[in-house]
Amino acid sequence: MSINLFLSDLTAQAASAYTLVARWLFPLLALVILVRCLVPLIQERSANTVWGYLVLANGTSIPVRNWENLIGRGKYADIVVNFPVVSRSHAVLTFRNGIWTIADLGSKGGITVNGVKVDKAQEIQFGDVISLAGIEMALVPQLQNEASKFTDVAGGSSDTEGEKNSALNSAVTLLLLFLFQVLALVQLFASRDGITLAALPVFGIYFLVELLHYLLMRRLQSGNIELELLAYFLCGLNLALVASAAPSDLKKQLAAILLGIAAYTVITWFCRDLGRARRLKYLALGGGVLLLILNLAFGEKIYGARNWINLGFITFQPLEFVKISFVLAGTATLDRLLTTRNMTAFIAFAGACMITLALIRDFGTAVVFFGAFLVIAFMYSGDLRTLFLVTAGAAFAGIAVVTFMPYIAMRFAAWGKVWQYADSTGFQQTRTMIAAASGGLFGVGGGNGYLKNIAAADTDLVFGMLCEEWGLLVALCVLLVIIFFVFYAVLLTKNSRSAFYAIAACGAATIFLLQTALNVLGSVDVLPLTGLTIPFISNGGSSMVASWGLLALIRSAA
Amino acid sequence: MKLLAIRTLVLIALALLFLAGFTVFVGRYLHSAAVWAQHPSNRHLYQSGRLKETGTIYDRRGEILLETKDGVLTFHSEQSVRTAVMHVTGDRGGNVATGMLKVMWERLTGWNLLNGAYRYRDKLSAANDLTLTLDARLSALAYKELKGRKGAVGVYNYKTGEIICMTSSPSFDPQNPPDIEADPERYEGVYLNRLLSAAYTPGSIFKVVTAAAALETIPDIEERHYQCSGKIQIGADTVTCLVPHGDVTLRDALAHSCNVAFAQIAGEVGADALQHYAELAGFNNRLTFDGIKTAAGKVDVKHAAPVELAWAGIGQHTNTANPLAYMVFMGAIANGGLSVAPEIIARENMLPAMTKAEKRILPTETAEKLKEMLRNNTLAVYGESRFSGLELCAKSGTAEVGKGKEPHAWFAGFLDREDFPYAFVVIIENGGTGSRTAAAVAAGVLHAAVAR
Ligand SMILES: [Zn+2]
Repeated sequence: MSINLFLSDLTAQAASAYTLVARWLFPLLALVILVRCLVPLIQERSANTVWGYLVLANGTSIPVRNWENLIGRGKYADIVVNFPVVSRSHAVLTFRNGIWTIADLGSKGGITVNGVKVDKAQEIQFGDVISLAGIEMALVPQLQNEASKFTDVAGGSSDTEGEKNSALNSAVTLLLLFLFQVLALVQLFASRDGITLAALPVFGIYFLVELLHYLLMRRLQSGNIELELLAYFLCGLNLALVASAAPSDLKKQLAAILLGIAAYTVITWFCRDLGRARRLKYLALGGGVLLLILNLAFGEKIYGARNWINLGFITFQPLEFVKISFVLAGTATLDRLLTTRNMTAFIAFAGACMITLALIRDFGTAVVFFGAFLVIAFMYSGDLRTLFLVTAGAAFAGIAVVTFMPYIAMRFAAWGKVWQYADSTGFQQTRTMIAAASGGLFGVGGGNGYLKNIAAADTDLVFGMLCEEWGLLVALCVLLVIIFFVFYAVLLTKNSRSAFYAIAACGAATIFLLQTALNVLGSVDVLPLTGLTIPFISNGGSSMVASWGLLALIRSAA
Repeated sequence: MKLLAIRTLVLIALALLFLAGFTVFVGRYLHSAAVWAQHPSNRHLYQSGRLKETGTIYDRRGEILLETKDGVLTFHSEQSVRTAVMHVTGDRGGNVATGMLKVMWERLTGWNLLNGAYRYRDKLSAANDLTLTLDARLSALAYKELKGRKGAVGVYNYKTGEIICMTSSPSFDPQNPPDIEADPERYEGVYLNRLLSAAYTPGSIFKVVTAAAALETIPDIEERHYQCSGKIQIGADTVTCLVPHGDVTLRDALAHSCNVAFAQIAGEVGADALQHYAELAGFNNRLTFDGIKTAAGKVDVKHAAPVELAWAGIGQHTNTANPLAYMVFMGAIANGGLSVAPEIIARENMLPAMTKAEKRILPTETAEKLKEMLRNNTLAVYGESRFSGLELCAKSGTAEVGKGKEPHAWFAGFLDREDFPYAFVVIIENGGTGSRTAAAVAAGVLHAAVAR
């Protein structure tokens, strides 16, 4: 045996041995990382700041915990003033730019401040006598011992024991994350065909970016950093999948992650201040309309729907970015949301989006936008009946579309019986299920799959690739992260500073959820195949940048 | 913000919907992943639609029935042997539902729910090999004895449950599969293991079931005498014998297969008792062993008219029998009423006796009486000289299958020998008289089984 042959055999043996061990480590590490990220994010919510107190004439003092507080007799009021003369939803007490404002919600009894009737809204000072239909009260600042807590949260620079601990914890989680990603990279090199050496600098830069962004966030951001760590985890898997299925896309995908992180930073900066955030909303709305027009005018059909724009040096999917505009278009502050109930702008924008989607025949994205519309509209109006009517109407429209449009009808025909059409219309779904079954719980090892050779394996069918190469357990961890984003957005709503942030976070989470649901369930034939991406996981530059943008909206609510 | 917090319920509902959908997927995954992985397009396990590699299948003598040689599935080296056991191994196309390639697919390919298609160094290990209880050369001899007629032969050890001979005809050489569709007549149901997956009208072999029911339910049955004039009118129908048997007891009636006597006995036993003992004998029940599921024989006389009951009692009416299940019933009679479940995969561990699946279906006393009567059949009718030294206890059957067609020939029974506790069944489709054709096949196979 020649020395070369001997060496290559030795390498092959080492590679096999590596996969044998590493494939057990991935789900384990993923689970540990997941738990270490989720726990602090969930616990964080217990810390609750009191901005001031509302003192009633009978001496009762009610803490004011939000920047936007609903005052009334109803059980969903943030400040319950339980007198029959007070309306269920009587007034909104808002704190903005250091100024407290009270707004009347069209109550029966009305509001006076220092004896002067409030028409719509009125700025108030500490100690002013506020009267809700004759029930008198006054706003007082938080007590001295609370003040320190206040600065803690606002300043974020104090070196308390708890902060040190959480910094240490997140650093350990980041190290585990690096371990996972380095092991994954080695696995890719140890795979059947191996991967190109060009992957090395891409992963190297990604590790560096993770570290730098982490350090930057530690310095700039108060509170926990684990939400970002979860996104790093997903992006790491994204690079691993792209390295396996489409190595030539690696550089593009890395660039998309960089752009995504940049977009994330910009949007979180914009959203830190509510005034800026509201300006961002109008900017995004304008941009969104522009993108829709561009798509209709210059859209090209690359796979399936006509949703690509080619600028010569770069191609992108404008609708991915419209998702951010769409969510922002639905936001409103609590006082506006309860006084005007005016959703015209949002409905108009949503309508424009739906028409565009119908014209370019992107059925899957239309379902996602519609779902987000429902969630946002319900948070806005709380009107379940209208919601049902809208849903029923849309269902009819959907059925009509499915029935009359042959292109979509064909996709639906195989639904539920893909094994009968395993080599025609059920091809993609059956191959996904075969891949999932071949991966078992621990996967065959990154790069060792066969689904990657099929078109759209790293986008529409990415769930199958994830199961095949990294195992059902890791795939499950990914879905848990997405579901956690939803859970987190819901959790944030209760203590969110403004309804604006709450709606933005929930809207963004809805888009994450629906895209994932339609992608995963569609590719395994629980739902019809619609061809969407899993946020952060699927190969695709626009999708990656947009995912970071949407995550920024969730982060801003914290 | 409480107001908005409540309104996030819509979002929670959507998340729950997703979880519900995903649970559906996980349920399907747990249930069907093995089937999905078996799709020929799965390149982890298949190459151009053919299995890349499987473990080796050995017979009880260590002969290789199936192995992967140079990346190709290779069957037994002799054509006659691999053809005879094709239904046991299965074919390359995965067409035999009860073949080892199908039922032991997970073990042979190394696929499992935990590891999927992953294999260390892409190699199978000894854990993926299978040793069968089968004697492949004995099966080859049985296949040869069938002489191309459609049918099946089975022999199993009624004390241990080991199937030592199993063959089904027609078959084909799995190494060089012929064009099946070119000759539909010759290859009718060729992928069916007729011993396991078929059910035929039993004819007279069913009289053993009727006799068992009579012994159990009619106290003085052994003293009774029946008169056979060659025919008997029951309702609007006439049950006939080929020749008048005159004055017969149960024992004589079984030996000479007297339809007239058994028609009357069935009537005396009654529908409920006959149904009950037929089910104890394994009718209306599918056997499950080593991943194989057999076809069920059928007896349904619950609401039968007297004439239908009479026909059922002599194995006609709507009765059908699965050959393997009937062989197990024969084994139970030989084994003193204890039925031992069959098995085809040899046990490797040290606890065979502990886990042996035994079921009492008849009292020892009744089984002994039946055994004596079946022995008498050989001595009085079939001729001991054809089966010398075998201590053969048996019953033949000639099942009418409709006008213009030769009847199915059955021969089933067991050897009453401590050293060779074998029960057997032979079925030849349209094979004519059971005591002649099927008995001849049985004689050849059983002599060989004892000689080996
Ligand atoms: Zn007779």
